Amino acid sequence: MLAEVGFIATFLAFGAALYAAVMAFYSVRQRDERRLLSARNAALATAPLMLVSLGALLSALLTEQYQIAYVWNVTDPNTPTFYRITALWGAQAGSLLFWSGLMSAFAFGAIALNWQAQRRLMPYVIAYTMLVLAAFLALSLFFENPFERYWIMPDDSVAKGVFALGGAVPPSAVRLAETANGLNPLLRHFGMIVHPPLLYMGFVGFIIPFAFAMAALASGDLSSNWIKATRRWTLLAWLSLSLGLVLGGRWAYDVLGWGGWWGWDPVENAAFLPWLLSTAFLHSVMIQEKRGMLKVWNMFLILGTFSAVIFGTFATRSGLVDSVHSFARSAIGFPLFFFWFAITAMSVGLLLWRWRRGELRDERRLHGWLSRETLFVLNNVIFVMLFIAIFWGSFGAPIFSELFMGTTITLGKDYFLQVTPPLFLALFILMGVAPLSAWGATTLLRLGKALIAPSLLAALVVLSLALLQPTEPLVLLIYGLIALSGTVALWETARGAAARHKRLGENWYTAFTALIARNRRRYGGYLIHLSIALLGIGALGSELYQQETQRTLAVGQSLELGGYVMRYDGFLGGQIAEDGRIMDIAQVTVLRDGREVARLRPRRDFYPNAEGMNTMTIPSAHSTLEGDFYVLLVDWEPISAQNATFKVFINPLINLIWWSSLLLILGTLIGMYPERRVALATATVEPSSQLAGAKA
Amino acid sequence: MKSLLRICLSLILIALALSAISLSAYAQEDPRRPVTDDEVNAVSKKLYCPVCENITLDACGTLACAQWREEVRLLLSEGKTPEQVIANFVARFGDRVVGTPVDPTLRALALLTPWLLSALVLLGTGVLFFRWRREGVSDVPKAKTVQPSAPAPRRTYEDYRARLEADLAARR
Repeated sequence: MLAEVGFIATFLAFGAALYAAVMAFYSVRQRDERRLLSARNAALATAPLMLVSLGALLSALLTEQYQIAYVWNVTDPNTPTFYRITALWGAQAGSLLFWSGLMSAFAFGAIALNWQAQRRLMPYVIAYTMLVLAAFLALSLFFENPFERYWIMPDDSVAKGVFALGGAVPPSAVRLAETANGLNPLLRHFGMIVHPPLLYMGFVGFIIPFAFAMAALASGDLSSNWIKATRRWTLLAWLSLSLGLVLGGRWAYDVLGWGGWWGWDPVENAAFLPWLLSTAFLHSVMIQEKRGMLKVWNMFLILGTFSAVIFGTFATRSGLVDSVHSFARSAIGFPLFFFWFAITAMSVGLLLWRWRRGELRDERRLHGWLSRETLFVLNNVIFVMLFIAIFWGSFGAPIFSELFMGTTITLGKDYFLQVTPPLFLALFILMGVAPLSAWGATTLLRLGKALIAPSLLAALVVLSLALLQPTEPLVLLIYGLIALSGTVALWETARGAAARHKRLGENWYTAFTALIARNRRRYGGYLIHLSIALLGIGALGSELYQQETQRTLAVGQSLELGGYVMRYDGFLGGQIAEDGRIMDIAQVTVLRDGREVARLRPRRDFYPNAEGMNTMTIPSAHSTLEGDFYVLLVDWEPISAQNATFKVFINPLINLIWWSSLLLILGTLIGMYPERRVALATATVEPSSQLAGAKA
Repeated sequence: MKSLLRICLSLILIALALSAISLSAYAQEDPRRPVTDDEVNAVSKKLYCPVCENITLDACGTLACAQWREEVRLLLSEGKTPEQVIANFVARFGDRVVGTPVDPTLRALALLTPWLLSALVLLGTGVLFFRWRREGVSDVPKAKTVQPSAPAPRRTYEDYRARLEADLAARR
């Protein structure tokens, strides 16, 4: 019953999306309001239909309907309820349906909230969102149907289909339960309940700015309307994608057992590429809003972001690239590639058409080399250069060498660590300098003066880091440049609050909150800059100063690393967990200066029913502000476990990466919160933004 | 008989002595040395699993990779340098086992292409900057702007109100 309900709901959603897309285009052509209303209603109907569809699949997972092939594939009777929920996106078919469900929800929100305010753009927004939704639902219905069931045919063969085929009977429920696969061990982690949904929200969320940009191009309303209408949607998608990336890093750190958090794996990079373009977009739209510039560029960035989302989806789901993430491969490669090509060609075609007609000309030009808009453009150029370098390393070079040189190559961490660091450093420098420059023009002297106090603060940060661990002068300089991007944000906020405190007599708390409330966008942005600076320091510290050793210890023996002593105390073999996995656990004690600081239990989990990769090395770590003491159980002597081999890492400053995400959330939420200003006020440049100029 | 026994004993002693000398010489020539796990991992970190792509040999949990790590250990113990061990793997499995290709053409292609493409982007931006500065502000044609799309019912209401006002003014 659940399979029928889910399938019919998905089919109806597909029909509604297709109908809405066609009717929306037709309503524009015929100037027919009635047809547009009909298109809108059909588009809105896709969200509840997808809710029913996802509800049916979730119910099937929770109630152990193993006749449904997807349920059989991702759960077994030992799977805890928590992982039955996460199994919804645990394999290709379910994650595609989940993706479509999220997309329908985003479309519902954007259409409902903008229906009155953006009537001119709405027909096209409906058409483009529904076209994309219909394409993804088609993948679910015709290639990766999560509602297909197993049937025993009259000739005893096994067939798959949603509905009973002629003479087919369902297999024995007991047999199905006994043979069920269970969830991929890699996905049995707490982070899996939040990491994929956030990542998908990030990917899917960009459908809204994409659809509005396409609507602007198609309708000819090339003002900043589409940007204003989609700013919060873009921020929501960007925040989700950012958190998805950081949580993905945390998952890799906790589950993959290699001591790091970012491996430059093509799947990680596929998610990072749209992030780069969307971050550039979030900066450059400010120039269009304030100065009426970069119209073509902004269109290019958001269309490119969505194209990168679809390309990344194609690349990772089709098996184009192999990686630990490519658990979900199937026959959707060609249709997804065709869809990516079609949507990209359509976007580029529409953009070029408007450009050639001269309808996307900027209202102002760049003047000063140090003006804020010039620095923003530079920042955009570097984001694009990073995009090129990472795309080339992840997809370009491997595909090119295989197609044209007949050889397979892998560009790994070595490549990325040779190519990307100068570009990241340039971005951090611009993050520090650009907020201090003024719109229009700034002189070097003014900019230099404005940089004095934040530079002193950055020097303090560098001094603290140097005291924490011995560091080379060049690395200290890089730390300083990264820190500057955060101290500029802190200094600017403190300066603004101090000015209010002095001028208006407000107490410090009121001055601070009123300052933020007055320009949430700017101060939210500063908080995001601070979080990225923390992330940068954490990433640099953990990469450059990671210490590692691997040793075999007898019970009672110890090893030393970076001022810590680790003693092997004993071994608990063959422990059976509730979900049926078998755990082999080592017990170790960590000491510092002769004092016990932690007892850790690194372990190896074995999943007897899982196919393929059925063993997981789960680390155990002692975390402090300074860094992590991270232990992996590599091997042990069978039966006696008298000797065990451990791989031990010290990952300095790594926790800054996780903590920075909290500031990122806070900053983005502040930036998203609606301003209380009247429309006219947005056109004027606030005096405080002219920091460098005001000082003259 | 006694002399025969003496001769045999002498021959055995000589044979034992010779074998001892040859064995000790062999033992002296054995280049193998103990290799620590850290040395193996340092090399394995630079090699990618030839089977499961994008996982370095030191982190891969498969049996094949465990055997390859032992091979790294053996090669190091035989006195090979890390570079020689890596070259050995590349010769057998191709450039896919290293993070950046060893083959000079592939290496140049891999490392120079992103910089060349980036240089093009920079050049394009630079040209645009100079052109904009030369053109200045005044000669830039104002972009064709379209009125922000207003809510349809309100626009109808505004139109209606405008017509009403005009009508009333005419009557006055």
